[in-house]
Amino acid sequence: MSINPRDVGRREGVFEREPARRIFAAELRECRYQFKEGDDEKSPTFVLLPTGERCNRLFIVGTLTEKQRQGDQNIFYRGRVVDPTGTFFIMAGSYQPEAMQQLAKVDTPAFVAVIGKPNLYQTPDGAFLVSVRVESITVVDKETRDLWVLDTAARTLDRIEVMATGQSVDCVKAKEQYPAIDTAVFRKMAYDALAQIKI
Amino acid sequence: MDFSEAAERISRKFSQKGTEVDPKKIEGKLRRLVNEFGVQPSEAERSVNNELAKEFNLPAMGTGGGGKNGGAAELKKIADVAPGEWVTIEGKIVSTSTPASPAIAQSGIIADESGAIRFVAWAKSNAPAMQEGLWYKIESAVIDEFKGIASLKIHSGTTVRESIVDGPLIPGTVPVVNLHTGVGSVRAKVIQDWDASHERMLQSGLLGDETGTVKFVIWKEAGKEKLTVGSVYNIFYALVDEFNGRLSLNLNTATIMLDDGDILVSGGEVNVRGAVVHIAPGSGIIKRCPVEGCNRALSRQNYCPVHEIQPKFHYDLRIKGWLDDGIKTHNILLQREVVESLTGITLEAAQEIAENNPLGMDEVFLRMRDAVLGRYITCHGREIDNRLLVNACEKLTFDSGAHAALLNRSGSAS
Repeated sequence: MSINPRDVGRREGVFEREPARRIFAAELRECRYQFKEGDDEKSPTFVLLPTGERCNRLFIVGTLTEKQRQGDQNIFYRGRVVDPTGTFFIMAGSYQPEAMQQLAKVDTPAFVAVIGKPNLYQTPDGAFLVSVRVESITVVDKETRDLWVLDTAARTLDRIEVMATGQSVDCVKAKEQYPAIDTAVFRKMAYDALAQIKI
Repeated sequence: MDFSEAAERISRKFSQKGTEVDPKKIEGKLRRLVNEFGVQPSEAERSVNNELAKEFNLPAMGTGGGGKNGGAAELKKIADVAPGEWVTIEGKIVSTSTPASPAIAQSGIIADESGAIRFVAWAKSNAPAMQEGLWYKIESAVIDEFKGIASLKIHSGTTVRESIVDGPLIPGTVPVVNLHTGVGSVRAKVIQDWDASHERMLQSGLLGDETGTVKFVIWKEAGKEKLTVGSVYNIFYALVDEFNGRLSLNLNTATIMLDDGDILVSGGEVNVRGAVVHIAPGSGIIKRCPVEGCNRALSRQNYCPVHEIQPKFHYDLRIKGWLDDGIKTHNILLQREVVESLTGITLEAAQEIAENNPLGMDEVFLRMRDAVLGRYITCHGREIDNRLLVNACEKLTFDSGAHAALLNRSGSAS
């Protein structure tokens, strides 16, 4: 008789939705480690960020530069969303019909806000790839994009600071999993992203 | 067993001692003990408690009393006792209540100038009955814990003696936000009187002070009177319980005194800034039941769960969704005026769309979603039961001062 903690949470009114993390493309690209909390089938999967935080959901605002319909039987859309630091790879399939229709409607290029879940894959030749499964995507304006860059820079700097002294499980795990990464590169990345916004 | 609740309880206890433990980890441990090893829930909670206490080098927090608690003979202040300890305290009986079971001779609250604690005297302890208002010295009692609330157990090895220290005991009150499970005293105003949800209940409602609000309940008992809405009371030694993560004051044990003053109650107003990450179904234009005092949302077929088919419904606007600041996601509910100002779609315009567009009400939902989803907004409102009822909200605008500050912050240490 296993109890799904999500169900318990909902009934008790203490269900906590996983927050959508703010991450620049250049940091998400470095993720190499994915883990599951709990052994239940529905337990959430997290990607561990090099800046020492778990991430089950993302909020991205950037420019949709390309989209492509793929598949015959199982239609799905792929897209590229660009931020000041790099590219997010997004996808929406027939399991996310609403997201797929939203994505199908957007004409490129456009500023879009994407809420989605990260997934870490390893290609046959050993390279890692993080793609974002879209929950929803809407067209937004440039100001929203600029707000996102500020927001994401601030959150990234917060994470770097916590990581510097952090003893939390995730910080320790990140230091273990990403021994070669110096978080200073993400500080630089945040600076460069901010510098691209014209005042 | 409710694992997450028990896990929260344990995690909170450790965070009070300055150690953060992930409730999920605790929950995993509990689950494993109960589901895999068939351990009794209460026993599982105790063993997880002890395991973590050992791991973080804290004195035993569960029950059972370790070898280190030799200081039982030393007089302790009530505020300093911890579960698992054998203690000697001296205090005044400030309240007694009818025992819930024949195994209990007496129960109530004992207080000293540092604080107060619940006590239980087992029938088997043969302790003398203590009288309300008198002071006693209680030697070698055990501090036990049930559902995260500490209580003093008087057993057969405990000595109870009346004390000569008779004097005025003036309890201090705490702000409502600082209440925690156990026993608490507050100075607060009655701001809401709710319908009694149980026949044994005399009154329930909401108390508030400058710092926040808390639910209260008074059970029917001889000599208990209702509190008046709008009046301020000094409430000493109420039992503080917790249900579903919310505190509740049981005033049956409390001494209540009317206060002449007034309090400007904080409505628990909060400001949350974040991005709208989800618009839930049931947002947009909805139909409401016209029956006086009902106002429930109707289904598409104009069906009210209570009053059945209601063709003479009226329209309303609302948005249910999630606002996310990157750390926490808040469930938000926007009322009509807020929806109108945020989306720029008035109720009249929405009704026009709903009645004339081929997609009907769905079209309103889609337009509102496209106008709001993924946008940064600030919401002001009251948080009730984990849901933020929004009174006002505005879109965030680009702040070049914040931009400059962030440039400095990211550039400075590199």
